Amino acid sequence: MADTNTTPVWDKFIRTFHWALVLGVSTAAVSGFLLSPTWINLHIWAGTTAAVLLLARLLWGVWGSKNARFAAFVKGPREVMTHVRELKDGKAARHLGHNPLGALMIIALLGTVFLLLLTGVAGLGGVFKAGPLGFAASYNFGTFTLSVHEVLAIFLMVLVVLHIAGAAFEGMRTKENLVKAMVTGNKEKRKNDHDLPEVASRPIWAAVVFGIVLAGFVWGGIWFASKPPFGVPSAPPNATYADECSACHMAYPPSLLPAKNWGTLMSVLDDHFGEDASLGQVATDEITTWLFENASDSVDTKPAHVFSRTNPQSPLAITSTPFWKNTHRNIPDAEFTRPPIYDNGNCAACHSDADSGAFYPANISIPKETSP
Amino acid sequence: MKKTLTIAIAAAALFGAAVAANGQRDGIVAGYAAQAGVSSFSADAGRTLFLSQNTGGKEATPSCSTCHTTDPTAAGRTRVGKPIEPMAVSRTPERFTDPDKVEKWFRRNCTSVLGRECTPEEKGNFLTFMISQ
Repeated sequence: MADTNTTPVWDKFIRTFHWALVLGVSTAAVSGFLLSPTWINLHIWAGTTAAVLLLARLLWGVWGSKNARFAAFVKGPREVMTHVRELKDGKAARHLGHNPLGALMIIALLGTVFLLLLTGVAGLGGVFKAGPLGFAASYNFGTFTLSVHEVLAIFLMVLVVLHIAGAAFEGMRTKENLVKAMVTGNKEKRKNDHDLPEVASRPIWAAVVFGIVLAGFVWGGIWFASKPPFGVPSAPPNATYADECSACHMAYPPSLLPAKNWGTLMSVLDDHFGEDASLGQVATDEITTWLFENASDSVDTKPAHVFSRTNPQSPLAITSTPFWKNTHRNIPDAEFTRPPIYDNGNCAACHSDADSGAFYPANISIPKETSP
Repeated sequence: MKKTLTIAIAAAALFGAAVAANGQRDGIVAGYAAQAGVSSFSADAGRTLFLSQNTGGKEATPSCSTCHTTDPTAAGRTRVGKPIEPMAVSRTPERFTDPDKVEKWFRRNCTSVLGRECTPEEKGNFLTFMISQ
């Protein structure tokens, strides 16, 4: 294959975009499917990278080179059917750029990535009260969008497999290395190739629009992300609660239990998890009132929701709730009793944001064993 | 000159605070003496109480030393891992200066460890031991 006989097909942007998206989607898939939730920030950065890539690709699809332009390579149903029929008959000519079936795959891949970004941002906002939708999305909306996100993620994996299979099939059929073409950008020129009409790409125009839109997204994202989160009232601190309760343990955020359970807990302080923690009536009443006002019933965080399902056998212990037990099931009991953790009620030993009641997965770090 | 004066004032303030704290502690001990009808307390009896192993209280806390360790000058730890400042007055000079706080913790911890409230005599012995440490 002589160099003089090759023709440029994939421009530098398309090739960079393709392999960068492979990296972004792989990182998102590994961190989302395989790694523990403590890797959530890596997952979010992978998604953010994919978002920036997708924006650039959409603009390049308007102002890029001929094989990048959606209007040129995306075909209607009639042409797709013609292509399929010709494939069956074994007389389909080669498309230098995307063939009509490949074009459908590109739309499906980009569209699925787009929907993954939307549902991911909505889930992050609703469940963790973080990101640009943290101010607006409820927990229930967030868990719903995250389920959609998971289904879409599996669907994307199926698409990726089909995309690779399609490329392998087309490469065998036309006897060419399509992966190499996506690296070098060039293909061998042949007779009867389908080619698209030449157009001049407008990189500066695309870059300017990209810069403006990206700046808008970044500015808007930061502005929205800085708004107060939805359904997370900041509890007014109570000095009596802080003094009395944190004499022995961390001042558990009131949003971790329903008012009903706090009420029971405050009524049996003389047998408080195996110790007498009784208080005078004035202090007991003040703390009970404050706990009622800030209990999980009126808070929309994930901990407030998941710990509301208490264990009937032990309704006062957060560490007995089904959610707590399930999320900590892989940690051996001995880990909880060794220094500097000592007890599974010592949330802050591993959750650096325990005091706020947020319990964001990226803020988990199990400390190394220390001498007692 | 100015520095010396500052140090002198700070030292005097510290000394004053220590004297005041001692006065408050003496007042609390005197109160228990009056309740118990005794003229003096035994630091040894206080030590024995501090180190005693009991079965009458709650299962998780058979002794004061469960959380406070057997050495009053060492820091203790609550059952959920929170550090407790040493009980010995020499280590934690602000100990036993607030009568309400002293009563609160005697009430709670005697019930947890012994299964009953402590007598004024036991409280006085205990404080006398901790003051001597």
